Amino acid sequence: MKTMKTIKFLTIALAMTSFVACDNDSDDLLPVVSITVEDIYAPQEGGQGQPISGAFTKFDFDLGMETDSETDWDIAFRATDIIINGGMSMGTTDEPDRTGDAGAYIVTGTMADVTEVDVNLFTQDSGSGYAIMSGSGNGWYTYSGPPTYLITPTAGKILVFKTADGKYAKVEILSYYQGAPENPDAFTDPSRYYTFNYVYQPNSGETTF
Amino acid sequence: MLNKSQVLIFALLIVFSSNGQEKQENDSIIENELEEVIVTGTKTIRKLSSLPLPALIITQKDIENSNSTRLPEILNEQAGLITISDFGGGEGIQLQGLDSQYTLILIDGLPIIGRSAGTLDINRFSTGNIKQIEIVKGASSSLYGSEAIGGVINIITKRPAEGFESDLSYYTGSNNTNDTNFLMNYKKNKIGFTLFANSYKSDGYDLDENDELNTVEPFKNYTINSKATFDFSKKLSIAINGRYFDQIQDYIASTELLGESSIKEWNLSLTGNLRSNDKWNNSIELYKTNYYANEYLNTTDGENYSSSFYDHNLMHIEFKSIYKTEVSNTYVFGLGYNNETLERTYFTTRPEFKSPYAFVQYDFKPKEKLNLIIGGRYDSHSEYKSQFSPKAAVRYEINDQAVIKGSLGYGYKAPDFRQLYFNFNNATVGYTVLGYNAVSEVLPQLVDQGQIANIVVPLSEFSNKLQAESSIALNIGTDVKFSSEISSDFNLFLNNIKNLIDTRVIANKINGQNVFSYYNINEVITYGLEINSSYKPNNNFKLSAGYQLLFAFDKEGLRAFNDGEVYARETPVSPAFQLKKNDYFGLYNRSRHMGYIKLFYENYESKFNGNIRLTYRSKYGLYDTNNNTYLDVYDDFVKGYVIADLALNKEINNYSKIGFGINNVFNFKDINNISNISGRIYYSKINIQL
Repeated sequence: MKTMKTIKFLTIALAMTSFVACDNDSDDLLPVVSITVEDIYAPQEGGQGQPISGAFTKFDFDLGMETDSETDWDIAFRATDIIINGGMSMGTTDEPDRTGDAGAYIVTGTMADVTEVDVNLFTQDSGSGYAIMSGSGNGWYTYSGPPTYLITPTAGKILVFKTADGKYAKVEILSYYQGAPENPDAFTDPSRYYTFNYVYQPNSGETTF
Repeated sequence: MLNKSQVLIFALLIVFSSNGQEKQENDSIIENELEEVIVTGTKTIRKLSSLPLPALIITQKDIENSNSTRLPEILNEQAGLITISDFGGGEGIQLQGLDSQYTLILIDGLPIIGRSAGTLDINRFSTGNIKQIEIVKGASSSLYGSEAIGGVINIITKRPAEGFESDLSYYTGSNNTNDTNFLMNYKKNKIGFTLFANSYKSDGYDLDENDELNTVEPFKNYTINSKATFDFSKKLSIAINGRYFDQIQDYIASTELLGESSIKEWNLSLTGNLRSNDKWNNSIELYKTNYYANEYLNTTDGENYSSSFYDHNLMHIEFKSIYKTEVSNTYVFGLGYNNETLERTYFTTRPEFKSPYAFVQYDFKPKEKLNLIIGGRYDSHSEYKSQFSPKAAVRYEINDQAVIKGSLGYGYKAPDFRQLYFNFNNATVGYTVLGYNAVSEVLPQLVDQGQIANIVVPLSEFSNKLQAESSIALNIGTDVKFSSEISSDFNLFLNNIKNLIDTRVIANKINGQNVFSYYNINEVITYGLEINSSYKPNNNFKLSAGYQLLFAFDKEGLRAFNDGEVYARETPVSPAFQLKKNDYFGLYNRSRHMGYIKLFYENYESKFNGNIRLTYRSKYGLYDTNNNTYLDVYDDFVKGYVIADLALNKEINNYSKIGFGINNVFNFKDINNISNISGRIYYSKINIQL
């Protein structure tokens, strides 16, 4: 039964995708990709008053996985910071140079709500701050402070990205703890492990998902 | 088996053998019920039943029958009143959905201070010498000025009564709690005197055995209260009242950090009354009070780790004239002056508040069945914007069975000393909190010291004074007498509050922490319905029930939910979805439903009384557990609960009474969420007339 349901769902999903594709007056568009990425580990050194350092963990939407490439990456993680391959480096230790033209903005809504990219909203990393602003409540997460000290992805924050080579993706971060536990415990569950859903539009110039 | 006539003879014997005292008591009960009078609503003596304001009286008998020893116990049993424990350990009262700092607490009409963490801990007050507690709901700043937003609770203590008597009572209960009262009363001709002494000790209790700390650490406190009255003539009388309270409690932060916290409070008042003629009645109040709290922690080798103190003074003078016209319309004129100072840790200055004020009230009956009250008070203030607080109330007798009443009033709460003058730097974490008035002085100093990375709110925003929190309150109700046995009253209430004071980040520090200060932001609305009913089938039984329906919302929250800006997840790792308007639960720590049922039984023949009291509180939320800044229906809630109390009292002879009871019969506890409910308590009590 479960397999049946999955197959049905996939058929419907494919049908819808092809419908969207047909709608766009093109015969050879690639299907929109919808993926859940689990446990991208994004360590950092220092912090808590000490200087922060350590390599960012880079991610490529097209590959759907981590990458070590110096140039071919879209976004990168270090602890709660998320940077994009576009704009300027803030100049923190071990921060990679930007070689692409990525952009980002955050929109309030559900994944399903975000059907179209608003290209006017994109900003890039700069010397004074990242496009995905750091700090609790500013960007993608909320820090509870005492007594639980949990980092929770803020519900209703969808991160919209332009990739390094000008395609679009939308991301909903689900967890910051290893294995995405339902009831994370900041004292026992290892943190800095990103789990997120993303939808990637692989066709150049297409602004809908 | 006894037959009917034997029972009658037996009953008659009891009646005849009892002395006049009991009869007197019976009379006074009946008198009380007919003539319950209240002064808090109008600052004049009014019958409770004819007051156009929502008000209630808790009598000495209510307190005695339920064997309450401290104020929160008896207040918790009233509709729409609940005591909420504060993170500082104090217990404050929530009224019509408003926090404890918005209800004014008076003893004999004079204001009580000592809100060191914002909450006035009403556990301080013994019920041993209370004559009655008067509670007026709805904004009452038109007579009382600051803090009277939700309402006023006035604790009326016993005044000297003709004769001489003294009385000793002792209560002992679970957690090694001991409460001892001595009360002496003397009055002959022109001179009267009372002395009240109370000692209250407890080992406290521990809900969570797994940690080293107790939920409530052991404490002991003493209260001494004495009054002297002099009736120079029928026209002129004065009263002097002194009260002293002293408490010491263990203060334990961990196994390595041990200390003590102590409170010393005194009040001294001189009141005079001159009845010039049938029309004019003039009075004066001179009052001074001091609240001193202090706590310290030492390390195990005796080194002082931390200590802090809080020293608050209030001086109050008020002249009041009451003028009665021939048709018994009443004018009240008042003039007064308050002077407050505070010295405490984390203040750089010793601020002083000076506020002269004046009020006027006209209470009249344009038609026989129609009563109107209009009044207003003007408070001038040295540190914040002056306030004018009007109020109007109306009561109309539809017929012998039903009256309708309504009141509309303004209430405000002045910014407190902390919100204006705090200068606190957390040494371990590194953040700073500055009072609104302290910002323009301290922030530039921090800049000079190179501590500030970035100023978020420009200094110019602090040039205007911080606004007082204020409210407009509407109450509309009806009192209905369905029959001689059943009566009910209904009250719809609405409190519309603006300029609530909150904290925000005003600057970022180079250590990554922030500087916080206070500002006016929130607008809050609370509204609901209160119903109280009583059923008295005969002289022996009384059944009463009360209910409050409450909605309490942040207006910004209502807007955000309405506009679909708030999201939540089913589980922390599932995709987010948009919340609907009805998903907003409202403010923290508010229950939608609260109620009580009480059954009182009194047998005058065998001098026995017993009662069962049930209080209910529906679920409520303490935190936003899903990080969308609002309390919505997908958050974790504290479960609703029922507390049942049982009390039995019996007069042994003319000089002694015994009592026994169980509080919290079902042994309800919520270890994680409710610190002020200790579990089941057994107690017994003895009272001897000396």
